[in-house]
Amino acid sequence: MSYKVTEEGNISTVFLNGEIDMDVTEKAKEVILPLVEAGKEVHLNLKDVSYMDSSGISVLIESHQKALEKNTKVVVKEVSKSVLKVIMMAKLEQILNLE
Amino acid sequence: MNLSEAKDFVVSTASLKEVRDFCREIFDKINLPQEQKDELVLAIAEAAQNIVKHGYKGVEETTDRMEIKISLKDNDLEIGFFDKGKAVVPENVKHRKLDDIKPGGLGTFFIKQIMDNAVFKKDQNGWVNHLVLTKKI
Repeated sequence: MSYKVTEEGNISTVFLNGEIDMDVTEKAKEVILPLVEAGKEVHLNLKDVSYMDSSGISVLIESHQKALEKNTKVVVKEVSKSVLKVIMMAKLEQILNLE
Repeated sequence: MNLSEAKDFVVSTASLKEVRDFCREIFDKINLPQEQKDELVLAIAEAAQNIVKHGYKGVEETTDRMEIKISLKDNDLEIGFFDKGKAVVPENVKHRKLDDIKPGGLGTFFIKQIMDNAVFKKDQNGWVNHLVLTKKI
């Protein structure tokens, strides 16, 4: 997994790339959670994420819940078809902010 | 098409990509919709992840290996997982309730959603656990 972060005002956009599994979830959390902790609105762009398992879904849930605590939000954007399938299997499409 | 292929992997999160590549290579030989192949890869990867996460919970690093065997006979797909981690008590293998939104506890749910059956067998042959996932494809 690789990533890129861009900043515009209070919005941080994290572009994740590759496959998100248990091996990389700590790295993903290290990138995302400090931004949420800082009160940023975080946009997770998953356009280039080709695979995500339950560990990756856990990162999305944890980020979303942390954002609610901090009165901000995490928006999940440009989800690839295969990742959307996993999100829907977990019945999270109504919980996460998908765009 | 009938086939049977097996491969062993070091029990480590770093092996999960290798597990997926092994599965993808096999499923590429089978005439299935891509969506179904992706689901099967997810189910297998989740089961392998459960071995690393739960079977070896608290173990920093190990040289132990796990074996995955994929067999297809007629339209019956069978995937066997063999490991030497902590013995699984099948009754304790549960997923969280979907409406209890929290990180974790979804791997087993995905496996159950995707596969027809998941059973721990007692014919371990020197292994500690032998999980068999089956699906009619």
